Amino acid sequence: MNMKFVKITSKGMRETFRDRRGFFFLLVFPVFFIAVFSFAFGSGTFQSGGSLPHDIAVVNYDVGTTVISNNTTRLVNYGQSFTQVLENATLENSSTKLFLLHNVSEEQANELLRSRSIDALIVIPKNFSGAFTSMVNDSARTAITSEVGAQAIASGTVSQNQLSKNVTLPGASNVTSMLSVQGDASYVNFDTAQALVTTIFAQYKNDVTANAVANAASGGDYRPLAEYIPIEMQPIAGTLSFSPFDYMVPGLIIVAILMQVSLVSASLVRDIERGTLDRLRLSVARAFELLFGTFLSWTLVTIGQVPILIAVATGLGYQYSGGSLGSLGLAMVIGVIAGMASIALALLIASFAKSEMQALELGAIVTLPVAFLGGAFFPLPPQVIDFWGMTFSVYDVLPWTHAISALRSVLTYGTGLSADIVFQITWLIVLTAILFVVAVVCYSRVRLRPET
Amino acid sequence: MLKVSKGADKYALKTENLTKTIGNLLVVDNLNLEIRRREVFGFLGPNGAGKTTSIKMMVGLLRPTSGRVLFDGAKSGSAVKRRIGVCPQDLAMWDALTCRENLTFMGDMYGIPPPLLEARVNKLLDLLSLTERADQTAAKLSGGMKRRLNIALAVVHDPEIVFLDEPSAGLDPQSRLLLWEFIRFLRDEEDKTIVLTTHAMEEADALSDRIAIIDHGTLLRLDTPEGLKQTLGKGDVVELQLVDPRMNEKVLALMKSLREIEEVYQLKGKIAVRALGATSKLPMIIRRIERAGGRVSDISVRRNSLEDVFVSLTGRALKE
Repeated sequence: MNMKFVKITSKGMRETFRDRRGFFFLLVFPVFFIAVFSFAFGSGTFQSGGSLPHDIAVVNYDVGTTVISNNTTRLVNYGQSFTQVLENATLENSSTKLFLLHNVSEEQANELLRSRSIDALIVIPKNFSGAFTSMVNDSARTAITSEVGAQAIASGTVSQNQLSKNVTLPGASNVTSMLSVQGDASYVNFDTAQALVTTIFAQYKNDVTANAVANAASGGDYRPLAEYIPIEMQPIAGTLSFSPFDYMVPGLIIVAILMQVSLVSASLVRDIERGTLDRLRLSVARAFELLFGTFLSWTLVTIGQVPILIAVATGLGYQYSGGSLGSLGLAMVIGVIAGMASIALALLIASFAKSEMQALELGAIVTLPVAFLGGAFFPLPPQVIDFWGMTFSVYDVLPWTHAISALRSVLTYGTGLSADIVFQITWLIVLTAILFVVAVVCYSRVRLRPET
Repeated sequence: MLKVSKGADKYALKTENLTKTIGNLLVVDNLNLEIRRREVFGFLGPNGAGKTTSIKMMVGLLRPTSGRVLFDGAKSGSAVKRRIGVCPQDLAMWDALTCRENLTFMGDMYGIPPPLLEARVNKLLDLLSLTERADQTAAKLSGGMKRRLNIALAVVHDPEIVFLDEPSAGLDPQSRLLLWEFIRFLRDEEDKTIVLTTHAMEEADALSDRIAIIDHGTLLRLDTPEGLKQTLGKGDVVELQLVDPRMNEKVLALMKSLREIEEVYQLKGKIAVRALGATSKLPMIIRRIERAGGRVSDISVRRNSLEDVFVSLTGRALKE
């Protein structure tokens, strides 16, 4: 039996590996692409602001305040205490620090902000301790009197004895201040850093207040107890020191596979321009054999591409969470189906492109928007449409959206063959099949039938 | 090789009222041809005459507007694909593959069994002097070698009918002679029918058993080369080069008025005068030209050629 599609596959592979331009676009360019993203978005190899700890500067102008407790006057500096809290803050159950503090002046800190050398600048004002004491005292008074009120309501009477002899109500005052967190609003690292600082400050405030209430109730004094403040962060498994690069790698692999669109469509149009397609049309090879052979050769390229790109990305610091060979196999299945969708798209382009150059251009024009819309670089805001009573996200009509999502789950989050992955792969297969049928019908009608 | 069934039609290929219209342009007009088995059929015509369009319709790459093509009585289609081989005008090969890979791949596409295919590939490489370059990629071949590979690709599956569309375009004299030998080999040794389109009169004259002259999509004449020369061209041809080519039109008009002249026309800047006993009439012709104010700078006398026939039929030279 003469397996013509095998011969076509073999011919395609030889052409691909002997074509330096094709080799460059299929392997060298994606590797370069991944290296650039690794550098730009932070990874183990190229540390930038993306990963922990966040570089921040704290400028503390706080002069402190005096508090009287048990007839003793003490100087307390909450600004210093809060700075210490930031410095010591770590991820839960981890020694990974959240912040790396830079000891610089406000002017120097502003310079560092502009160059994005630090993610945020925290300015603690002069009267911070006074204001903080006022706020803590006010909260403690409210908490204690609320407790008394609650006891009175429970017993139905109010008596002198209900107010414990040991309870000391902190003095009231009205001092205000403002903690300032400064940074570049367009910089994603600033968003993360300021969110962390705000959360830590809220916890710090609550814990100091709780400490004050407890001490007032026991008749003791209250101190800012930095070591009592827990910082809790719940990372997704395998993303303890997650960077944007780790999020992007699966998308970049799909981008590399999408680059096949230009190459495959150009190669198909080249066959038309050079008359070699006419030779094949004149032969006894059937349209199915021609197309299947072409599909198979590019699919083999994809099978080779995926592990190489994963290996390169891992070498550049990508934190591969796939683990087992099974996950790698699953990733290759996803990559291969995404590759088939790319080849189908290439067939569609080759059906209408007038020249090899036009096919290359059309491929490039289509590839980048598809990669962006599919969420290869960052998730896009959902654009939901209602259709026959069901809601769909606009980007979900692209097979590559599901490929990127599934690949990210498998490679970055270490998910096995979960229900969500099965759902994504099912959609990927369905959409690829639809695209494939449309492309094959178009190509066969336009390119393989006798001209009219 | 696929052999023709016994008692089959003596024609390998017939076209019946083959017509092609593209937009409002009539490219091929009711072309009726009967191409015999084991003949080299010359298909002659200027650029845009409809030769390539006709061939594309014959081999099934282009759908006719009307009419049909019959191979041994059968309509063209997948059943006859194995029986025809096509060498396109432009080079059509896979540049990244070697000569041997190109030929083997093409043979595979026709389902030729490997042992037969290997022998066929080796034979073609040898016949077309490509053996030494067998393992070189097509991209690295010279223009002449590419032309030869282009032809080999058309016959690797050993077809009955071979369409050669301007196969010698761009070939050096040595390669052209090799090609001519190969075409004769295909006809004489492999019993193939060759449909040969060419611009080169000399090539058509040397190779063709019969020649069809086509212009503006219409078949003008079909005969053997000798038959064409005899029926259309009586006598010898005198070619005159005038000192002042601006006098050509005046001299043409003068010659046309003379009863002794069979035909006169302009060919490649010269005045071609055909007449019986042309040599004896030369003094009279020169005298008349000089009286009209012209001066002859060069004179040559030759026998009728296919080009004269062509110009006589179409009113223009073949490459115009």
